[in-house]
Amino acid sequence: MQAPLDDEALATAFASKERWAFEEAYTRFGTLLYSTAYHVLGNAEDAQDCVHDAIARVWRSPDAYNRARGALRSFLTVCVRNEAITRLRAKARRTRLHERVAAEPQEHDEIAIVDVVEHDRLRAALNRLPIEQRQPLELAYFEQKTHVEIAAHLDVPLGTIKSRIALGLRKLGTALGGAR
Amino acid sequence: MSAHIGDDAALYALGALEPHEIAAVEAHASACAACSRLLAQAEADVAAMAAAQRQLTPPPELAERIFATPDAPTPLRRSVSRASWIGALAAAIALALVPTAYFYEQSVAMHDAMLADANAMARVASSPHRRVAFTGQNASVMYAPDGSWYVVVIRGAKHPMHVTWAHDGEQTMLGTAVPHGDVAMLYLPKSHRMDQLAIMSGGRVVGQAQLVF
Ligand SMILES: [Zn+2]
Repeated sequence: MQAPLDDEALATAFASKERWAFEEAYTRFGTLLYSTAYHVLGNAEDAQDCVHDAIARVWRSPDAYNRARGALRSFLTVCVRNEAITRLRAKARRTRLHERVAAEPQEHDEIAIVDVVEHDRLRAALNRLPIEQRQPLELAYFEQKTHVEIAAHLDVPLGTIKSRIALGLRKLGTALGGAR
Repeated sequence: MSAHIGDDAALYALGALEPHEIAAVEAHASACAACSRLLAQAEADVAAMAAAQRQLTPPPELAERIFATPDAPTPLRRSVSRASWIGALAAAIALALVPTAYFYEQSVAMHDAMLADANAMARVASSPHRRVAFTGQNASVMYAPDGSWYVVVIRGAKHPMHVTWAHDGEQTMLGTAVPHGDVAMLYLPKSHRMDQLAIMSGGRVVGQAQLVF
């Protein structure tokens, strides 16, 4: 049986706004995009809204994506993740405003807890990084902190934190086979 | 031009920039090929992290919402309102269709599809054509003996499905058959003969048809 259309052809068609490519991109990457949003936001409803809004915005904006931006899969993943982080921060601001005590408890659906096996693949790769790279990367990825917050938290100069995160991320990407 | 983004590529991809820093990185990368590549690499690394976490199946209603997203209004695309020509053609086509046996074959759901792709049906009704069933899918293709047009009809389709032309070991995307009722249809005016068509869903071939000319 024939090989499915490759991601390159899909990315090119997506960049030139061919409708089928928009639908195929969701069909192909929907699970990754939804999971990415879910892991940041912690519940199904917010994750859904986040994926929908992020993708729709990319699609409706005339030049959000072009081939120079690299793989469509990673571009969309980062769009969705950054949208999720923006929402999380907005929610945190609102929560602070209404005071922590009055805020409803964070709903965590049952799935988040079973999140062990694959998570371990990421954990295992992280554990092979030197601690000075691993720590700031974990704070950025799992706790969605900004580099300013991370530098303050670890009491390390900003420039140093930035280069450690960048170095750690590149090593991790290589270890996880993130060349694509 | 502003300074190269350097390590900020990683921070951007991780969502770890301060909100006021984001626009500058995007603006620079869109004008600088080297930084655009750097950003693409950082994004690939973050995507690899995301893919190494547990994957959850999105709820089906998300697909419905996504597929309902309208296109950006650009003058180049088919911005001509479908409703206008459908209205005009529908009457003429109803007449053209009535005497053909083809019309009677169609279910009520097909009627909706007919209205949506009225010119395809006019074509089928008014010119000689052949018909071949797909294997693996409740679908068929009607086509002109000279390869000038093809109409793919998929029954029981719940989601839009892609139709491809298989040739020389490759798949060329022809278009998307969008369900109206439970029939999805795709009209393809072409200038060449395509002897192998496939229906794809989720990146996999789910139906194939062998056409004879
Ligand atoms: Zn640059």
